[in-house]
Amino acid sequence: MVTFDWKRELDRRDHQVVLSGQPIAIHCHHYNINLQKTLEDTLGEEGIRLLYKSAEEAIYNDLTVLLEQYRELRTVKSKLEMASIVYQNCGLGIIHPQQVRSSGGYIISPSSHHVTGWLAKHGKRDTPGCHFPRGWIAGALAVIFSKPIGHYKVAEKKCKMMRDEECVFYVEEC
Amino acid sequence: MAIDSTKIIHAVMEGSRVRESKGIMPHFGVYLSLFSVQYYNRLSFDFEKIIGPHRAAEAQDLLIKTAQECGYATFQGIRNSWEWDEIVKPMIVRKDDQIMGFAAVAVAFGWGDLKVEALVPNEKLVIRVSDSYEASGYLKDYGYAVSAKCYMLRGVAGAFMDLVYGEAYPEGCFSFVAKEPLCRAKGDSYCEFIARKSPY
Repeated sequence: MVTFDWKRELDRRDHQVVLSGQPIAIHCHHYNINLQKTLEDTLGEEGIRLLYKSAEEAIYNDLTVLLEQYRELRTVKSKLEMASIVYQNCGLGIIHPQQVRSSGGYIISPSSHHVTGWLAKHGKRDTPGCHFPRGWIAGALAVIFSKPIGHYKVAEKKCKMMRDEECVFYVEEC
Repeated sequence: MAIDSTKIIHAVMEGSRVRESKGIMPHFGVYLSLFSVQYYNRLSFDFEKIIGPHRAAEAQDLLIKTAQECGYATFQGIRNSWEWDEIVKPMIVRKDDQIMGFAAVAVAFGWGDLKVEALVPNEKLVIRVSDSYEASGYLKDYGYAVSAKCYMLRGVAGAFMDLVYGEAYPEGCFSFVAKEPLCRAKGDSYCEFIARKSPY
């Protein structure tokens, strides 16, 4: 069993905070949700696409670097577990992959930073709002299944921001 | 007593390794997340690009205001947290020391090596940063800029002054406004933020 040493992975390089050597920033729900609202209000669908693509690209790069350091993780199951641990340890919430294969599948999220933040600041939405988690899942699965970035499309079928019981993401190949 | 940045950084790093079972990180009175600086830079700089050069000023203004509003709420949460009471408050002698405490938290959050260069109470704040993730990210991906690029830190510099010298929360946001006359993204050797009272 591979041990993911979070204390070692999350560190400082002078004034930078690094996760597995990659620079990260600690931000709170006020900033993350304000950014989302600004982009959605100003750009509409294009803003939503930007939130999705930016999360997809960033996690694609970071998870690629991380998995290179844990080469003993060979099975899809162990890589999915690693991705879920990273998601949780980054304070982003909980994700449970449901029979995810290279062709796609479902991911359920009973808890999420973006949901908690959105509901705290703006209350219930009428449309699904987990654009960041959708992009994150698309990028992470592309790394796990050794596919190029943009290979997966992730749609949110249920969203806690709309007061559904959990967020449900449907993943399919583009 | 001077503000001990090392102690604050240590507290934030320890706290950011602790999260509850739902994967949420309630710390310093807010919900924190850790994510790649590449994400935040892409959002800001592509937002500018998409909105187009004819509306560049509007895009910059929106990004700065987004950050200032966030900084105002975030650091209000932070200074009302038990962590602030336990770790930072004992170091604060004068009201102005709060600004040093805020800057130390921003360094701990990985936003850059913020140094308060000058503070004239209720008038002016000057912060210098030699490695902001916004300027570094812009330089890496786009090369030299023609204008300053650290929108998040610019908003945050205004928010620091709003919280300490503006009207009581939540009425004081945007009492101050910050400019960034020097930015590494446009070839300066460091980024400089100057916050003054808003003329509006």
